[in-house]
Amino acid sequence: MSGPRLPGGRSLAVLRGRATPAGDGSGRRRLARQPVGFWLAVLWLGALSFFVLLAPVLGFLADPEAYSRDVQQGVGWSHWFGTDELGRDMFARVVWGGRLSLMIAAISVAAGILIGGSMGLLAGFFGGWADTLLSAVINVLLSLPALILALFIVTVLAQNTRNVTIAVTILAARAVARIVRAQTLRFRQREFVTAARCMGARTSRLIFREVLPNLVPVVVAFAFLALGLVIVGEGSLSFIGKSVPAPAITWGGILALAKGKLAAAPHLTIYPAVVMFCTLLAVNYIGDVLMRRFDVRQSLL
Amino acid sequence: MAALGRLASRLAQTAAVVLVVSFVTYWMLSLLPSDPCFLSVGTGATEELLAECRQRLELDRGLLAQYGAWLANMLTGDLGESYRNGITVTESLGQKLPVTGWLVLYTTVLSAAVSLPLGLWSAVRRDTWVDRLISGGAFSLLALPSFILGVVLALVFAAKLRWFDLGGYVGPTEDLLGHWKSLLLPVVTLTAGIMPFFLRLLRSDVIATLQEDYVEAARAKGLPRRWILARHVLRPSSFTVVTVAGLNAAQLVNGALVVEIIYDLDGMGTYLISAVFNQDFLVVQTLVALIAAAFVATNMLVDAAYPLLDPRVREPKR
Repeated sequence: MSGPRLPGGRSLAVLRGRATPAGDGSGRRRLARQPVGFWLAVLWLGALSFFVLLAPVLGFLADPEAYSRDVQQGVGWSHWFGTDELGRDMFARVVWGGRLSLMIAAISVAAGILIGGSMGLLAGFFGGWADTLLSAVINVLLSLPALILALFIVTVLAQNTRNVTIAVTILAARAVARIVRAQTLRFRQREFVTAARCMGARTSRLIFREVLPNLVPVVVAFAFLALGLVIVGEGSLSFIGKSVPAPAITWGGILALAKGKLAAAPHLTIYPAVVMFCTLLAVNYIGDVLMRRFDVRQSLL
Repeated sequence: MAALGRLASRLAQTAAVVLVVSFVTYWMLSLLPSDPCFLSVGTGATEELLAECRQRLELDRGLLAQYGAWLANMLTGDLGESYRNGITVTESLGQKLPVTGWLVLYTTVLSAAVSLPLGLWSAVRRDTWVDRLISGGAFSLLALPSFILGVVLALVFAAKLRWFDLGGYVGPTEDLLGHWKSLLLPVVTLTAGIMPFFLRLLRSDVIATLQEDYVEAARAKGLPRRWILARHVLRPSSFTVVTVAGLNAAQLVNGALVVEIIYDLDGMGTYLISAVFNQDFLVVQTLVALIAAAFVATNMLVDAAYPLLDPRVREPKR
């Protein structure tokens, strides 16, 4: 490793709080020491991504709206999750529902991190009136329960896929903003930032080279929890009938449609529900493991 | 005195947040191309009737004037009325608030009753199979959105086993047993969403407390374990739970919204959603403002109560 060294040959990176403590092993070994559940979660997300990304290419999944003569069938070889009352293959619908659900989730988490992260970073780093102003915005956004905020935004902006994405982006952004602000406050006080400042580093350098790299692990870990947050947010919105308009379909929408046929055709509810549950479990678990690794106090959430 | 000053400034902040939220919602709803007079007058609308209605509702005035009038009405306790059917919001709230109120109250009690012993037990038996079972269960529940769990519970206990019918809410004065029966499944559904937060937090908090010196000292004095847990461990940890209970108010409202739809309960959630679908925006506006006020006020109260409960944080050391 290049750069100035401390007595004893340790890199300055130790002071930056970025380097791994001595004896923690290489990155690869640390990864391998994750619990089995972690790898199961990764495996699940991998399999899910496979179907969801390749759905248009895989012939049997290509069209979630394709009718067949097998109406409201149970599980079988030709229809893995059975069919609905119009003979549509439920596996294809779950995959395509996941495609939209996960696309909305991924976009909104990425945008939420960008927006909320900048707000939190600026508020935490500069303090003073910038903090007062940005915290006021964050507090106003946080003053409504998630579902009501999302419902309100979709109502005001009109109900379509883009606006649903905007609504859940705000849910992700407000959560990220709060956590990034708290973390920035924590790091702003640290010696390495003061040291850099004393050496005459410019503000942009302090932000991008000293503080920001330290926020990355927490934000990456939180991104997984935020994925869960927005999948549930969009799902609830679908469930009350205020998410993407038909024929577009998300997991929440599939479950909402199946609600009325619960007693007659439970398979319409159970398989989508299990897939959604496993996905949420996977992202929550990965997020939780990473959060604990990076030692983020739970009260911040 | 310093504490009073802090309280006053918090109060001002809270009021400011509610004011901003209510104004922003008012402004955004006013941008929608929806004419409340069409709703109010109905299908037989003539130009004169519409004009008369617009005058009555003072829609020709500027946004700020309209908002000011709405705010003044709110502050004097006049919550307005639905454009659609003329029923006052106050009257509707009288019917619907108790439903959600009971739902939220029972859920909070049940969550505390379940999470307290389980959280304590798993903390004391940390890293044994008991702990793994409890923590794992709580973690799985976190990944179960209420619209999935609610639907599944309704399927099993109402549709298949027929132990309950989804006939809606029964008031406690009409039939107490029926009241409990009508709310049992909704409360269980909501509790499953809230309880894991309490449990996980309590567990990690108790684990931290168990390593404190004063717990060691109490143990060395030979105090009985139950006594130590009750007096030395649970008491400081309960403050955390109070805080989280406040923060979880939001989670509770989210859940209540969905649960009321699933179980066909005519509460605040159903009220808000039907107002949204009916484009009854005055009702939406009033409800959103009330929810924001209640929610922010809860958080403020919890924050303010914290130093009262826990003497250790009463006077911050400088």
